[in-house]
Amino acid sequence: MAAFIGAAVGRAVCGCRHGQLSSVGRGLFSGARCLAAERETHFGFQTVPETDKGEKVYQVFESVAKKYDIMNDSMSLGIHRLWKDILLHQMNPYPGTQLLDVAGGTGDIAFRFISYIRSQWEHQIKQKLKSHQNVSWQEISKSYQEEELKLPGGSQVVVCDINKEMLKVGKQKAQHLGYSEGLAWVVGNAEELPFNDNKFDVYTIAFGIRNVTHIDQALQEAYRVLKPGGRFLCLEFSQVNNPIISRLYDLYSFQVIPVLGEIIVGDWKSYQYLVESIRCFPAQEEFKALIEDAGFLKVEYQNLTSGIVAIHSGFKL
Amino acid sequence: MNIFLEEETSSLNLYFLSPSPEVHPCTCHFLLKETNKQLTLMVSISVVRCLVYPAQRAFHASAVLRRVSNETKQEPMPSSSQQHFESHPPGDQPDKESQHSGHSNTDQGGEESQDYESEEQLQHRILTAALEFVPTHGWTADAIAEGAKSLGLSVAAAGMFHNDSSELILHFVSHCNSELSALLKEQQKLVQLGQAEKKKTDQFLRDAVEARLRMLIPYIEKWPQALSILLLPHNIPASLTLLTSMLDEMWHYAGDQSTNINWYTRRAVLAGIYNTTELVMMQDSSPDFEDTWRFLENRVADAMKMGHTAKQVQSTGEALIQGLMGAAVTIKNLSGLNQRR
Repeated sequence: MAAFIGAAVGRAVCGCRHGQLSSVGRGLFSGARCLAAERETHFGFQTVPETDKGEKVYQVFESVAKKYDIMNDSMSLGIHRLWKDILLHQMNPYPGTQLLDVAGGTGDIAFRFISYIRSQWEHQIKQKLKSHQNVSWQEISKSYQEEELKLPGGSQVVVCDINKEMLKVGKQKAQHLGYSEGLAWVVGNAEELPFNDNKFDVYTIAFGIRNVTHIDQALQEAYRVLKPGGRFLCLEFSQVNNPIISRLYDLYSFQVIPVLGEIIVGDWKSYQYLVESIRCFPAQEEFKALIEDAGFLKVEYQNLTSGIVAIHSGFKL
Repeated sequence: MNIFLEEETSSLNLYFLSPSPEVHPCTCHFLLKETNKQLTLMVSISVVRCLVYPAQRAFHASAVLRRVSNETKQEPMPSSSQQHFESHPPGDQPDKESQHSGHSNTDQGGEESQDYESEEQLQHRILTAALEFVPTHGWTADAIAEGAKSLGLSVAAAGMFHNDSSELILHFVSHCNSELSALLKEQQKLVQLGQAEKKKTDQFLRDAVEARLRMLIPYIEKWPQALSILLLPHNIPASLTLLTSMLDEMWHYAGDQSTNINWYTRRAVLAGIYNTTELVMMQDSSPDFEDTWRFLENRVADAMKMGHTAKQVQSTGEALIQGLMGAAVTIKNLSGLNQRR
């Protein structure tokens, strides 16, 4: 009951000064170093006006876009591939799933999704062949033809990224790897998605929500575009709870990553921003509360690699 | 404090209800409406009893103050002005409420009582719908996805359940159990009303087990898969609980009131019968599973025979002991040890 009153008062305040409150709240969550004043937000450990953050983030990703994948591999020692595989395993998409991958510029999630759907579909065909021994050859050839034309079950993946450079890299990669069916590339802001309501089955955002200025708005947009029963999945850096690993991790990220950035991309600042923004992002439980505030139900998270990243999952019911 | 004024009011009379001195108002909503010279003042007061209860227990009171000229016309009254509606995005709530205060509140209240369903209820609905697709898709996440689709939900809703679909199987088992107990209850009612004859225990058990196993027939092709999933280590506690509760139901309606060691042996015996018959059933290809039911009959008869034998052994043993005691006394008497001098 006390919680009820608390929520009631909270909502009343929210009504009056919604935008301001959220930014202040986020600043507090992120610890003293990231404390932000009204209408200002954090850009790494710096405090910048909210209006500037988007532009700054845009510049960062514009400068790293070409070497983004190489940097990911070298910084995470290739582990980011496993994290993304685990995300797909959690999603376990069923043929016919409509996926929206926000901030998915270079298409890592989208390509994995397509190959997952294809393998699921092949598995289903095998099962069918096992259960009905007498499937006609016409049916089999038809199923293969269908596969060539489009993704099985009418699955589609839309990659939405605010950064044109990242999308360009992603498109080139898709051509190179031979993914073309059921794939669309859209330039759009996570805070104002250019899609209709109730359109997607799954919304993913991998290593992207950290860079969004208003996380609460992005979550509300996610809620809006998902169909009832749809799933929100977020792969994002989180907080390491083990003190020893946390020490090593801090050492690695502040001493090694910017150096790697300077050597490989020739850009120290962008990677300094990267590690700083990870520290400013809310911890697992706080982010879970944010997702619940956006209206999602059955919100859960799973820590990967002792909490360096976490997968948050929620449902629109 | 939130104050919503829907229309400009010329005169405003505030009557404040003070429930008791230690209560102080925390949130008040005043919904003012002036239509046809009718002022309806709906005050819903949420109060905190922090003075009385240190644990900050709060209660929620709503009061309606009316000054009605026309008695017949009645305004709908919101049961509580602050509905916590989980599926409602909280972001734009205050604006909405202020736009159409009275009505949106009553609408929400109505929704909550009629359409509102909890997460668990929705999950149950999805699983029940998924059962229809089990014969084609097996006990898999695919069946759940199809079930969700048939309810008009996104296929991604299947992600709410464990990947090995044990939740679907457990749902099915508990569903069958509740159906069985409903059936047995019905039969018991008929017996009590005198419309049906009371069955003998062996007949009763045979019928109960048969009725329960017949529920598996639509899924018999895929049932081995389900059993293998139920026997996975992490599912054993749940499946065992469901099995024992089913056995309890059966014995309860069979009229078992034992409180001694028999309670355990009876359940163990019935569990053996049920599980072996289930295994036989999965391999049975006879029409309408005749072989299975014959097997079941024989096993129940065996169990009954075992019970009789146990009783006989017990009574024989008692008779033997009595005979021995008698013999001992006779020997004592004969040998003269028992004589009193």
